[in-house]
Amino acid sequence: MRTKLFVLLVLVSVVFSACAPATPGPATAVPATAVPATAVPATATQPPEAQSVTLKIYLLDYTPDTIAWLKSDINPAFEAANPGVTVEITEGSWSGWDTTFAGFFAAGAGPDIINLGSEMNTLYGKSLADMDPYLGEAAWPDITNFGPALENAKYDGKLRGLPIFTAPRYVFCRTDLAVGSLPPKSFADWVTFAKANTKIDAATNSLTQQALVPVDAGSMADWQWWLLVFYSLDGQLYKADGTPNFDSPEALATTQFLLDMRQATYGPAADAVANLPAGQGSVIDVNADTGQNNGAVCLAHSGWAAPAFTQPIWSKVSIEPFYGDPANFPNSKPVVLAFNDWLAVADYSPNKQLAADWLKMAFTKEANNKWNSTMSLIPARNDSQFGYVTDSPQLKLEAELASQYGVGFAGILEAAKLSVIMQEALGKLITEELTPAEVVAQIQEQYSAALK
Amino acid sequence: MTTNPYIDVLYNSIFTVLFIVATSFGLGYLARLIARWVGASKRKQEDTFAGYLFAAPWIVGFLIFVIIPLGYSLYWSFTDYRVTDNTPPNWIGLDNYAQLILKDTGFRASIVNTLFLTAIGLPFMIAVALFLAVLLNQKSRGERIFRMAFYLPVILGFNTAVLLCWRLMLNGGTGIINQLIRAISKAFPPFSYLNRAVIFIQELISAFFLGISNGKFTLLNRIWAAGFPAANRVPMWVESPLWSKMSVVLLMVWGCGAMMLIFLAGLNNIPRELHDAAEVDGANGWQHFWKISFPLLTPYVFYNMVVGLIACLQIFEPIYVLYRDNQPLVSSVISMVYYLWQASFRQFEIGYGSAISWLILLLILAVTAIQFMMQKRWVNYDLY
Repeated sequence: MRTKLFVLLVLVSVVFSACAPATPGPATAVPATAVPATAVPATATQPPEAQSVTLKIYLLDYTPDTIAWLKSDINPAFEAANPGVTVEITEGSWSGWDTTFAGFFAAGAGPDIINLGSEMNTLYGKSLADMDPYLGEAAWPDITNFGPALENAKYDGKLRGLPIFTAPRYVFCRTDLAVGSLPPKSFADWVTFAKANTKIDAATNSLTQQALVPVDAGSMADWQWWLLVFYSLDGQLYKADGTPNFDSPEALATTQFLLDMRQATYGPAADAVANLPAGQGSVIDVNADTGQNNGAVCLAHSGWAAPAFTQPIWSKVSIEPFYGDPANFPNSKPVVLAFNDWLAVADYSPNKQLAADWLKMAFTKEANNKWNSTMSLIPARNDSQFGYVTDSPQLKLEAELASQYGVGFAGILEAAKLSVIMQEALGKLITEELTPAEVVAQIQEQYSAALK
Repeated sequence: MTTNPYIDVLYNSIFTVLFIVATSFGLGYLARLIARWVGASKRKQEDTFAGYLFAAPWIVGFLIFVIIPLGYSLYWSFTDYRVTDNTPPNWIGLDNYAQLILKDTGFRASIVNTLFLTAIGLPFMIAVALFLAVLLNQKSRGERIFRMAFYLPVILGFNTAVLLCWRLMLNGGTGIINQLIRAISKAFPPFSYLNRAVIFIQELISAFFLGISNGKFTLLNRIWAAGFPAANRVPMWVESPLWSKMSVVLLMVWGCGAMMLIFLAGLNNIPRELHDAAEVDGANGWQHFWKISFPLLTPYVFYNMVVGLIACLQIFEPIYVLYRDNQPLVSSVISMVYYLWQASFRQFEIGYGSAISWLILLLILAVTAIQFMMQKRWVNYDLY
């Protein structure tokens, strides 16, 4: 009896497995290059042959309004134009994205379209699809309307997706709080400014006012802040032969500047003061409940870290690029470091054509504007910068500064390794375990090894 | 054929159940076959079949989810394999291990940090857990509420809400912990001296360990030169590399509820007659504890030490939740497992990460073996 039961179960399992849907072939089975660049891909207006496919999109930390708009406007329109296709949006978070994405790429399966950040083109590039045949100028003339952020969506010179917005980092300063002239236009000016505008409560040995809050307020030694300062000196991350350029005078001066600013704010490492208290809202805003300032005089960050445009404080806030140190480095230039989010198509995706079609629909002139309007960000498409962008004096100025002084946060080789290498060295800089010269030497040595 | 994902899930579930049933029967038959082959009786063969049939789901799961990944991990540890490169693993022999042991200063620093957290954190955890267990072993009102309160951190774990609470509590300026220190120092000035002495000693120790990691003792010299801390100094829990390890130790101690439960069980197992006899002999509370309770608790201390040491050597969560977005401080507190996570899931170097994991395994095995060898000298099994 048991033997019969066993045989029966095996047979049933075989039947079920035989009925299972065919596994899509590996992405490489149908290389993207098989689609001729001159071929006209299927568009939303030309419904393809009916098929039952789910196009999966993985988005990170978008507002409920954006998601609602995608689900109510874009996806239904796309599904109507592509009978049999269902669009499925999964919402993830920037906290833990890396582990999730590692799973997708390790398994060779996952969402067709994934949400990436600026520097991730080099990190994931080899695992992303070549979308030139689908989104290149020959296939989609609209691509010429994208601004410099498009570079962040490329790897090895080929498009891997489309950028959603550009989020440059400006220097926002409270004109009513600042002691001394604004904006500081050299490293020496900044250090003087930091000393004059930082206040410490002696009773609690903690900051009550911080002259400048850069990307990482607590340490003032974040690698992204370092890169912004470095680029403002016209520093180049790589030499002509492709090796790292951390042994350059610009790198040393940048590192020394970070240490000087840290010490002007927090004092020496052996007798450091406590951070600003965690407040509500932007650090340059005023707390609506208490009427107290949140503590920062200047903020070097993206617009999303600044107060909402509706806040009255904007009448007392200036927006500037970071000016570098022209006194010591004549090639210094004003810089706003431009970050962006972009949507990439994974190489394992069997639905590259559909993914491209969806991207085209979600990135029209109007759609790119609408997508970003819910977050007050600057659309990646130049022709989408209308309406709320030009209506808001702050956003209009930000867009102008971005186009004038924008430097992309892209093209960083082994970005994940460089981040770890730099953070480790900069962490030792602020504790004065390593001197600025030792810090850049350590980064140069470790990053050179990482690139081999 | 439809590709509806819900139908797919249904198919997969049914197939999984059938697979488990089939493999269980298969394993049972195989075990019976072997029993028959070695000449077991009919009854023994049937028992073998039944035993393996019921154990098979676990065995199959163990094979699929532990043994096979373990094999892959071992193989990858000898390869250059980066998961995002879209290329297969490339065999490089012992290069990953040589790099880790001989050249990787970051890994060396992670070992030093882990040893610090183990050497300082584990004794703290055991001491606090034992202290709480002894307190809660007293018959008093609300005893169960206190037991639950001290065990709650184990259930809560290190989720986002807990992380935010700890960050607020540990804020150097406005955090409640430093506010309490300031308030007590103000009300009772000798406490201020004690607090500053603790800060001085702690910062010297931390600077020493940071110096070992870096191979330079610049910071240690600076702290020594700065001298006794000023009156307004408080611990910079999550703001200074000198305090980052201690804040992790604090979180470890906060989660000592599981150890406390073990000790409570041990205390309840000590026969009442022993304490009664000591009472008759005129022993005081201190003698009760050190002469009776503690010696008989040593098997529980040993268990907590073994389990705690393994957990400490694998510490990850407190560092991840406190410092993941405070990158400049990570290097001062990075543990071996955090280093493994960083290599595997931030840089996607799966080959290198696998080698790290095998080295951690060997280290844990060695330390645990030493503990078992040493236990004969101090663990008292007389009662058991």
